Amino acid sequence: MTVGTTYETPRAGERKGEVRTVNVGGMRVPYHLTLLERPDPYLDIDSYDPEADLMALNMGPQHPSTHGVLRVKLYLDGETCIKAVPYLGYLHRGVEKLCEKLTYVQITPIVDKNDYVSPMMNELAINMAFEALLKVEVPPRALFIRTVCAEIQRVASHLLWLGTFGLDVGGGIGGGATLFMHTFREREMCLDLFENLTGCRFHYNTHQVGGNRHDIPEGWDQKVKRALGHIASRVDEYEAFVENPIFKARTIGVGVIDPILAMELGVCGPILRASGIDFDLRRDAPYAAYDKVEINVPVETAGDAYARYLVRVREMRESIRIALTLLDGVPEGPISALKPVKGPTNVKPKPGEAYVSIESPRGELGTYVISDGSPNPYRCKLRPPSLHAAALLPYLAPGSMVSDIVATLGSLDFILGEVDR
Amino acid sequence: MAFSEDIVRLCERFGLTELPDEGPVVERKDVVAFAHALKDELGFFFFVYCVATHYPADEKTEQPDRTLVTYRVRRLPIPGVRPTETFPFRLWVPTGDTTPSLTSVWAGADWQEREQFDLVGTVFEGHPDLRRLMMPEDWPGHPLRREYAIETQHFPWR
Repeated sequence: MTVGTTYETPRAGERKGEVRTVNVGGMRVPYHLTLLERPDPYLDIDSYDPEADLMALNMGPQHPSTHGVLRVKLYLDGETCIKAVPYLGYLHRGVEKLCEKLTYVQITPIVDKNDYVSPMMNELAINMAFEALLKVEVPPRALFIRTVCAEIQRVASHLLWLGTFGLDVGGGIGGGATLFMHTFREREMCLDLFENLTGCRFHYNTHQVGGNRHDIPEGWDQKVKRALGHIASRVDEYEAFVENPIFKARTIGVGVIDPILAMELGVCGPILRASGIDFDLRRDAPYAAYDKVEINVPVETAGDAYARYLVRVREMRESIRIALTLLDGVPEGPISALKPVKGPTNVKPKPGEAYVSIESPRGELGTYVISDGSPNPYRCKLRPPSLHAAALLPYLAPGSMVSDIVATLGSLDFILGEVDR
Repeated sequence: MAFSEDIVRLCERFGLTELPDEGPVVERKDVVAFAHALKDELGFFFFVYCVATHYPADEKTEQPDRTLVTYRVRRLPIPGVRPTETFPFRLWVPTGDTTPSLTSVWAGADWQEREQFDLVGTVFEGHPDLRRLMMPEDWPGHPLRREYAIETQHFPWR
């Protein structure tokens, strides 16, 4: 299933204008993606051709290319998949139930472990929801620190994705593991920055209701500039590394996503942008300090795994630029709006509810909190982008080969800790 | 935060005059038509979430044991025409009763409703594949109900 679009060189930074688009509900959608057939995810296996020699193959839960513990039951006709049924819950930890039992300030270190590739985003999303519930104004210095951290975290997350995607598509890029090692070396620089700021390499617990816990240490901005400048030059090298015919053959035309289906499923972020929809919460519904900086949203129109790779690599460059721009303008002032109270757990919002969403590296990460006036949330629903991305699988797998399913799985970039919660 | 004019007009057509920030309370019999109108007429293509919240019977307010089901949908921005906007709407479902599934409108409601069925126990009528999503198939009870104690032990899982 190869679509007829040509690729510009990734360094051009501007998208092509000549892709034909059609109007769907006011939005411009690439025409060739609207022609895709939508497979039936509820296909009755018994009604399939009785002559066919079907095989049920369980991919996972220990399969390395599922990036965690996901089991996908594949029904194969020859080597072609006709139905895929994902089974979740191997990593279910009952985070939402825990949130109902813990106080508001105790929740932050718990949700750190949801999306274990970008913990900073989880903290940001849940604390913004609590602040909306409490109607707390966060001081500008904290907003800037949060935004810079979020962008560095996005770079780290995309670096990890690029490395593991290299493992998924395998031999095309130097046996696969080479790129993985290289990206992890650069990701380590991001983690070092966070260690310098918060004391933890991971699971930082640096956001709190009303502001931040840790102020920028002396000389941190110089370290950030040095590290991000280094990563920016390395990203060029990755592109040269990956630009080879085998990588392209494994990704171009693989896992093509219809943007209308993706929107109905709630898929957002780089996956939607690779299908030609120009939508980014950072630009379209700014939060934190994103309204202080201009954001260019990379968009591709092919909708396949290669387009998703292009979007993520460009996002890395964009994130580096945003982080460096904001770092120069961090204002002076307090980093938390909370006044010292009797106990740190004594946060009691009025009865009400709030929904706040942010753009995590995987899409719209939202938190929906209902308060009944007690120190614990009455209901705390985390809206993970990965769960919605995983819901694409029953639509993408039918009709493709098993090896293409691995490439598709990798390009969707879902994190099972966040899917199962 | 007030909703856009076209949303208010649509809600009036369905007899919804009260529009708090948390979203209007829609009748269960109208919800599928309401959802279709939101998606087809107003362009709410993007499915954000479906959340069920259990409210036990309350003697003070004389409310029966029931569940609040909240949906939220989003429409994407069109440059120069409209910004992005989310719209929530809610349904009250008495315990033991069912609510129509919106899977036929938004495909994303499929897994979200399965998750809520699994964790809260709300039954979505007309759902094509209503199985548990997170917990094992033979798990007793629904963990996010208020009477389900956090330290409940179940053999062989503890």
